[in-house]
Amino acid sequence: MEKVLEVKGLSKQYSKVLAADKVSFDIGKGEIFALIGPNGAGKTTTIRMISTLLTPTDGDAIVNGHSVLKEPEKVRQSITYLPDEAGAYKNMTGKKYLRFMAGLFSTDIDTINGYVERAEKMCGLGERLNDKIGSYSRGMIRKLLLSRAVMTKPALAILDEPTSGLDVLNAIEIRKMIKKLAAEEGMSFLLSSHNMLEIEFVSDRVGIISKGHLHVTGSADELKERYNAANLEEVFERVVKGNEVL
Amino acid sequence: MKFFNLLKKELAELLNVQTIISLVVAMSLLMLMGNVMTNTIEEAVKQEYTVTLCDRDKTDFTADMLETLRGYGAKINEVTDASEDYAKLLDNSGKESLVIIPEGFSEAVEKGEAPQLISIARMKSAAMMSNMSNTNSGAESLIKKAISDVFSQQAGLSPEDVTLINNPVKINSHTVISDKSAEVSTDMVMSKVMMQNMILPVIVFVLIMMTSQGLMSGISNEKIDKTLETLLSAPVSRTAILGSKMLAATIVAMLQAVLFMVGFSSMMSGATEGATADIANTIAAEIMPLDQALDKLGLTLGVGDYILVGIQLFLTIMICLCLSLVLGSLVNDAKQTQTMIMPLMFGAMIPYMISMLADINTLPIAVRIFVYAIPFTHTFSAIPNLMFDNMTIFLIGLAYQTVVFAVCMFFALRLFKSDKILTTSLNFGQKSKYKKATKSED
Ligand SMILES: Nc1ncnc2c1ncn2[C@@H]1O[C@H](COP(=O)(O)OP(=O)(O)OP(=O)(O)O)[C@@H](O)[C@H]1O
Ligand SMILES: [Mg+2]
Repeated sequence: MEKVLEVKGLSKQYSKVLAADKVSFDIGKGEIFALIGPNGAGKTTTIRMISTLLTPTDGDAIVNGHSVLKEPEKVRQSITYLPDEAGAYKNMTGKKYLRFMAGLFSTDIDTINGYVERAEKMCGLGERLNDKIGSYSRGMIRKLLLSRAVMTKPALAILDEPTSGLDVLNAIEIRKMIKKLAAEEGMSFLLSSHNMLEIEFVSDRVGIISKGHLHVTGSADELKERYNAANLEEVFERVVKGNEVL
Repeated sequence: MKFFNLLKKELAELLNVQTIISLVVAMSLLMLMGNVMTNTIEEAVKQEYTVTLCDRDKTDFTADMLETLRGYGAKINEVTDASEDYAKLLDNSGKESLVIIPEGFSEAVEKGEAPQLISIARMKSAAMMSNMSNTNSGAESLIKKAISDVFSQQAGLSPEDVTLINNPVKINSHTVISDKSAEVSTDMVMSKVMMQNMILPVIVFVLIMMTSQGLMSGISNEKIDKTLETLLSAPVSRTAILGSKMLAATIVAMLQAVLFMVGFSSMMSGATEGATADIANTIAAEIMPLDQALDKLGLTLGVGDYILVGIQLFLTIMICLCLSLVLGSLVNDAKQTQTMIMPLMFGAMIPYMISMLADINTLPIAVRIFVYAIPFTHTFSAIPNLMFDNMTIFLIGLAYQTVVFAVCMFFALRLFKSDKILTTSLNFGQKSKYKKATKSED
């Protein structure tokens, strides 16, 4: 399968913490990959390195054929990134925000209009798009940002905890959106979450990470079978405990 | 095109309703101050020639004296009230100041003793200009003159003799500034220049605070809302991101500067109007007109000077923006934004205070070095330096600020081009959220 992302031994050493320790995995075209792990596991750190926001202390990641170390500008053309707990400019209306962000990805008016139209349809905010973002609820902001992240049809959309802080209905809606985009448009996704049950529904493959180590990767079914577990949570428990004993 | 897109957004962020309101308020304050000054000065001038009197002696002599006062062109308000409670006396008369001629006044004059005059003035506040119109000084000196006229007439002196006694020496004051001199007293020069030197630093201070506040809260909000991460991961150059922020803030700052200058000059012209009225009334036109004297002394700034001041102010704003950008990037939560503005505030406050009270060039060398190391000092001393021809110090200041700006810009660019903008944070004593996270994990 064609690879959109290849992560090769990425490491990040903060002044005191080794937040990512030789993390390696890859994502194919149209695939949804989820990094799962508890708080402080190193998910955001790994994601930020792939998004060219953090410089790795070791290793490299290749996005759509471009190295994050050597050609970060080219990488940025192939990805979109949605930070965890992200907000948007409160004084802008939803429409203005979409237009502003689209203007960062293209200089062609028709292309920009296309992006904005696509996002407007996808976010389902309707008339509320003319209101200031400061008046939006958390779920509305998430939907706006998510449709922003996918409106440009990036090769790889990187979403850090896309459903955190949302109610069940909103979370389901967003999951459906992601699955549909991957299936119908062949977009690839890198997600992160600490909600392992939820991630089982949405992702094709998962990677279990804790304390900077990416322990195993595989589809949810594969892993459940390998660790003889009823769900991913149990898999996680066994993986982390097993590694601690070793 | 992408840069324009960014610039448009930054401008919209900076020019929101709050900033426009605060700008309008500041402007109207300046204009109001101009009005107030014109009024107080005019009021004070009127007061010079108004005498509120309570004659308790009621003799032919005092009647004569009042006549003499009227002869000088003074307007006399007579009050008849026997109260010894001076506060009540002022209340009853509805005046803020008044002079009492007590009983026995004429008797003392007849005996050739200095008579006693009671002068009452109400003090309502300690503000510099608030008591200008409630002193009796004008009335007192008119009365003194009247009495000495009476005395000299009694002694058989001619009016010429009296003038000579009162002004035994004719003082021909000259003020020298570096190599120029003009026929004007230093007091006069001071009174004219002081106002300008008091208000201008306030404007510079407010300008520094407003511009840094705007940019700093802008960038720290981007960091808190994580819109900065989104921007940095988008396909636009980081120089464009930084540049658009700087340019937008510069445009807004320049706009503010221009508006402030308009407000300031309207205020100054208000104050000058009042002052001219003052001069026309009290001082005979025998001295050189003040404006001309200031011109001759080089105290009025020419076009060249204004260009230099403009460059100076521009550099100051750029330094200020770089610093706020760097400081704002280190913010991790909304509360810290307020702490982060402190260094800038002190950096502007210290030279502001010092330049107000003293001439920096006469301070002890250690203090001078410290004060001159603060880049904003050169902003506050720029106009005095240009006025008093300290060109060398002015140019050294300008050069120093250029270096400071280059250094700040270099750091700001490095910050934006590395991942430090996301990982660096200052925590004053409090535990970082990262440390907390690791701990709770153990
Ligand atoms: N800027 C930083 N400076 C120092 N340490 C950091 C920094 N950012 C993260 N860390 C540390 O790196 C480790 C991994 O953090 P990271 O944010 O990647 O975790 P995460 O898996 O995203 O957790 P969460 O589920 O809470 O978002 C943590 O121990 C954290 O304390
Ligand atoms: Mg995280």
